[in-house]
Amino acid sequence: MGRGKNRNRLLLILLIVSLILSLIFAASTGAVKIGAAEIIATITKGHDTVNASILLDIRFPRVLLAAVLGAGLAAVGGVMQAIFKNPLVDSYTLGMSSGAALGAVISIITGLNVSVLGMETTGIFAFIGAVLTLFFVYSLAYTRNRMSINSLLLAGVAVSYFLASVISFLMMLNRNKIEHIVFWTMGSLSMATWDEVFISAVLIVPSLIVLLYYTRELNILVMGEDAAHHLGINTSALKNILLITCAVIVGSVVSTGGTIAFLGLVAPHIIRLIIGSDNKRVIPYSALLGSILLILSDTAGRVLIQPSEIPVGVMTSIMGGPFFIFLLRKQRN
Amino acid sequence: MDYQISVKDLSFSYNLKKVLEQVDINISKGSFFCIVGPNGSGKSTLLRVISAALKPREGVVIFEGTDINEMKIRSIAKMLSFVPQNTSLEFDFKVSDVVLMGRYPYVNKLKGETTQDFEIAKRAMEYTNIAHLRSRNFMELSGGERQRVILAQALAQDTDILILDEPVSHLDLQHQVEILNLIKKMCVDRKLTAITVLHDLNMASAYSDYIIMMKDGKIKEQGTPFETLTAANIKKIFDIDVYVTVSPIGNKPYIYALTKPSIDKKGIRIHVICGGGSGSNIIGSLYSEGYDLSSGVLTIGDLDWKISKENDVQIAEEVPFVGISEEAYAKNKELIASADAIVLTGLYLGKSNIKNLEILLDKEMKSKPLFILEDENFADRDYTEGAAAKLYRSIKAGGNVILTDSKMLKEEIIKAVRTHGKRQE
Repeated sequence: MGRGKNRNRLLLILLIVSLILSLIFAASTGAVKIGAAEIIATITKGHDTVNASILLDIRFPRVLLAAVLGAGLAAVGGVMQAIFKNPLVDSYTLGMSSGAALGAVISIITGLNVSVLGMETTGIFAFIGAVLTLFFVYSLAYTRNRMSINSLLLAGVAVSYFLASVISFLMMLNRNKIEHIVFWTMGSLSMATWDEVFISAVLIVPSLIVLLYYTRELNILVMGEDAAHHLGINTSALKNILLITCAVIVGSVVSTGGTIAFLGLVAPHIIRLIIGSDNKRVIPYSALLGSILLILSDTAGRVLIQPSEIPVGVMTSIMGGPFFIFLLRKQRN
Repeated sequence: MDYQISVKDLSFSYNLKKVLEQVDINISKGSFFCIVGPNGSGKSTLLRVISAALKPREGVVIFEGTDINEMKIRSIAKMLSFVPQNTSLEFDFKVSDVVLMGRYPYVNKLKGETTQDFEIAKRAMEYTNIAHLRSRNFMELSGGERQRVILAQALAQDTDILILDEPVSHLDLQHQVEILNLIKKMCVDRKLTAITVLHDLNMASAYSDYIIMMKDGKIKEQGTPFETLTAANIKKIFDIDVYVTVSPIGNKPYIYALTKPSIDKKGIRIHVICGGGSGSNIIGSLYSEGYDLSSGVLTIGDLDWKISKENDVQIAEEVPFVGISEEAYAKNKELIASADAIVLTGLYLGKSNIKNLEILLDKEMKSKPLFILEDENFADRDYTEGAAAKLYRSIKAGGNVILTDSKMLKEEIIKAVRTHGKRQE
């Protein structure tokens, strides 16, 4: 027991330190190198230098947005894997991300992209797309009072493909807006603004707290829904709360950063490999790791082929794909 | 109204398919209550309706006076725990964590588990003998060990009722016995009521206080193992032919499935004169060969009488310790007269049953083939100061007598019936 606790604490400290370091590293890296001292000076005092405006107007919002979205996606992945008791589930494999992207694309095409009370309608459309897709996929897999996880994954993948082709079709018809749409489908943080950071933080941080509040129940859900019911959990209410919370997070992630694949799948698994499956730790630690991974992926995307940028969704897929295959093979053994 | 659980007029359907129809059950505290029936008969559904995991379409489940569907899920979890067939975790947890989950209904969400919760979980692990496994991962354990962990979780839940859905179906014999012994012990030690579905009728017989037999969503029979597990009931519910005897240990019914593929009735009736267990094996083996059987005169409660009862054997019976009345004698004579052959087993003879020998000297019986299972120590079985021996000698001197032993009996019967011809209907 003692050793396990020490290991958990050590990992937590390591994650927090890494998060701070990657925030600083990401802020300092780019076309213009900016030293850590200057970053700290800018934060504490504020400067009217060119570097300070690069930091304050471009890099800080982008890096912080990556941190918030990464945390959201990873926590959602961990929660959904626990709900559905399957290591291959996340917002992407269940079609939620594609649904959110389609919602966003529809809002762009119809020109309904206006701001209501500081909320972009694109974000609202993305959220609606995520929720509708989730419940559609869910109802496809839920027959005769039973849910088969295989049908859930199959339905999710099939719906994902379908929605992706709808998006491609819409792109074809709206060539003038193709750049804007590609941004959603590939996932990019290059347009990050302070407004976006603020809105997504307002939506994602409380949602994360909701998810963290239910981690004990998530552990019990792993025993099976019947068992969870008999241990005193209202499983359908719990699942509804958790899935809607997840949809809020996915909707706000997609509306600000587009579809970012694999991150939600990979981060929880890395944490589980180190400390086991206790969701009381897996979910918060995954969120921290998700932040770190998205900050680093985005930074790598920015600097690898300068002056061009690799969209962050492409970066996470390049790194996450092989890991996904590793998981599949591990599961077979 | 001392029942802990009452199920009243319960019906349940999935979509339009009726799964349970008008089920009524009363369960008293501390009993080991078992539900048997073929696959798809609604057993598991019944368990889930009792545990409020499914809502009934009609009817109520009442727990100590309260309708279970009016209770909060958490309050139900403090009264009732559930053990499934097997538990498999996609994400592995330590054994101690799994057991501690049993405390969930009592844990305050913000304060977390208290020292008392840890103490209760620890005691539950000691009780089910898994304390040494506490730091192991659940999925690394064997099926039997996992089931003990789940039982520890159920104990930690501190409920009065334990509901089990085929708890031993995935286990080998050793672990089946181990788990069922543990459940029985919990019933006795902790006054827990166990409601379980079991597939193995002999396990059900050995452990249950009360058995319910279900088919097509209805309760067909209920009662003690002796009342329910009869060959006729098992034929009715499972559509299989079985031979039911009495287990030498524990005095419960013991069921053998008849493994002979064809047990078409031969249309031949054998009358067995037996008593005190001397006819049990003969009745069993002849029954499994497809013979119709009758027996007599047997004392009610005698081992051969029980076996006859459970295997659809027609019986000439008599109340204990009164000898054989005219009435019973006449009934016996009637049964013998309509039989194709008679078998006389190595029964003990005393004043009260000597008429079972006398009847064989009746002139109407002379024409029937009579098989005598002979052994050398007739004198040891004779408690009539020689009267029986005298009768026995004159019976053996009769015309149609074939001396044989239990091994040769079947062949001899076939031979005799062939030469003698079947009885005229």
